[in-house]
Amino acid sequence: MREWIHLFIAELKKEHRNNFHSSLIYFSLLIWPAIGFITAYYSFKPFQLDGSSPLSRFIDPDHLILFLLTGYLSYIFFWSQVQSAWRMGYERQSGTLEIIFLTPVNRLALVYGRSFSTLVEGVWLFFVFVMLTLFFVDGIAVSSFWSVPFALILLIGTAVIWGGFLNTVFLFSRDAGFLYTILDEPMSIFSGVRIPPLAFPIWGKIFSLVFPLTYTLNIMRKLVMEKAAFSEILPSLAALLVVLLVLVIATAIIIKKAEQHLKKTGNMVLF
Amino acid sequence: MLVAENITKVYKQKTRTGFFKSKYQETTAVSDLSFQMEPGKIIGLLGLNGAGKTTTIKMCTTLLEPTSGSITIDGLDAVKDDRKVKAIVNMIAGGERMLYWRLTGKENLNYFGHLYGIKQTELDNRIKELLNEVGLEEAANTPVEQYSKGMKQRLQIARGLINDPKYLFLDEPTLGLDAPIARHLRGYVKQLAQEKGKAILLTSHYLQEVEELCDEVYVLDKGRLIKHDTPKRLTASIFNESKLHIWLSEIKGNVKADLEQLLIANEARLEVIQTIEHGVELIIKTKKEITSPVLNLLSTHDTTVQKLFVDEPKLEDAILYLAERRAV
Repeated sequence: MREWIHLFIAELKKEHRNNFHSSLIYFSLLIWPAIGFITAYYSFKPFQLDGSSPLSRFIDPDHLILFLLTGYLSYIFFWSQVQSAWRMGYERQSGTLEIIFLTPVNRLALVYGRSFSTLVEGVWLFFVFVMLTLFFVDGIAVSSFWSVPFALILLIGTAVIWGGFLNTVFLFSRDAGFLYTILDEPMSIFSGVRIPPLAFPIWGKIFSLVFPLTYTLNIMRKLVMEKAAFSEILPSLAALLVVLLVLVIATAIIIKKAEQHLKKTGNMVLF
Repeated sequence: MLVAENITKVYKQKTRTGFFKSKYQETTAVSDLSFQMEPGKIIGLLGLNGAGKTTTIKMCTTLLEPTSGSITIDGLDAVKDDRKVKAIVNMIAGGERMLYWRLTGKENLNYFGHLYGIKQTELDNRIKELLNEVGLEEAANTPVEQYSKGMKQRLQIARGLINDPKYLFLDEPTLGLDAPIARHLRGYVKQLAQEKGKAILLTSHYLQEVEELCDEVYVLDKGRLIKHDTPKRLTASIFNESKLHIWLSEIKGNVKADLEQLLIANEARLEVIQTIEHGVELIIKTKKEITSPVLNLLSTHDTTVQKLFVDEPKLEDAILYLAERRAV
């Protein structure tokens, strides 16, 4: 455990110094997701969202801001992981990947350390923005004091595990760039960031199950907007835990198999 | 001790044969190579480009798996016990890659140190010591992107020593370094072997460096071992004669005849006599050390020796000879 903590701290420091060297980046960390949120909000505005709207069956028009805020906050958590994984390609080019694999560092700790550090660096500003905004927004309905902290811990944990999986895929594949496209707009649409998956046709609902963000967002909204008690989120939580377990096992297997493969082919230095 | 036994590495490479078609081709990078590394000794791996030196280093450092054969390090199998092996080996390669350019030298070392699980207090001391050793203490807090090529290379060296490895693999470590820094590094490498008992494997295109540092050299050609010996014996096995150059003011009387007699008696021969400005130059090819009897002979004939030097064959000559012979 101590090894993991040390590595998480080392990754945090390194990622910060390596990727956040200009203060301008903090500007984009807030502005970019905030614009996304505002755009989504105003794209709903021209439409009638009262009881006659088909969407009103799934979103309470009075709580549209809260719905979008939770959606965008969660999306930014997950999207930061895609960006983190994308940066793995540079590690190949700069040769640092080979040096990392020269060390006995625990590979799982490394990928989760990296996704955790990217998460902290990438979302904290928007997170603060969302938290401050929530004070001025109506509609927060929680059953207990632990609902919000639990929702956030769940969001962080899921995003880190998801990030670990993506990091592993990008770590070992030179051709994983297509995932960047798949995980951008489709994840935003089908996970329920702007429109709940329940509003999709059957094929859309099935497709939404691919993204762990769908499960997390579902639980988060239940906890924060629907005053759900723990027992009410249990089925969704169980589904999420199964998905996370599959992701952790897949990550561990891919790391092991891929490292063995790279040792055979010598492809680690190719980019 | 590191023992590599009959290691072979075959790469499968994909070659495009058409727009949709491709086939796999096998390339043998290292073939049936055996060698040993002992604590306190420096061994050299020599050969032209594509000889298999870097592949051998990567197999020893667990970055590659041999197709066949085995590598054991202090009784640990480099494939099965790779995590334990990684803790006691390290590699330093020439060039400017393998570092985080936006991090400072100190931050780079700190990060890589954590990957070895070194405690912060110990790591701080080691970083200070290493930065001092490679002459980067003043640039410790400067981002690597502002370092010169030589400074980056020195940081690589410090990085390669961060885990205090028992086995160190140096792949062209002085590539791009200024002469004084390269000389300092050579001294440091020698010290690491002699005083700290590290087993070191070195590859370098600067054969003088190999000759100066290595106790033994292994010469590879297309992945196969073609020679293994001490640098001196290896050179002698190819060039068994040295050249004695002597500059005289003049050749008096029967000096030449007496000299030739002496040379025949010592299995040597006078190769060249040429007139130079203010005198004559003699070039004698010999298998034995004959400087002293030659000087005695010249002094009995009252001949003034202006200058004298012995041109010993170099490892570089031997390797070039081997390479040329193989190319034919």
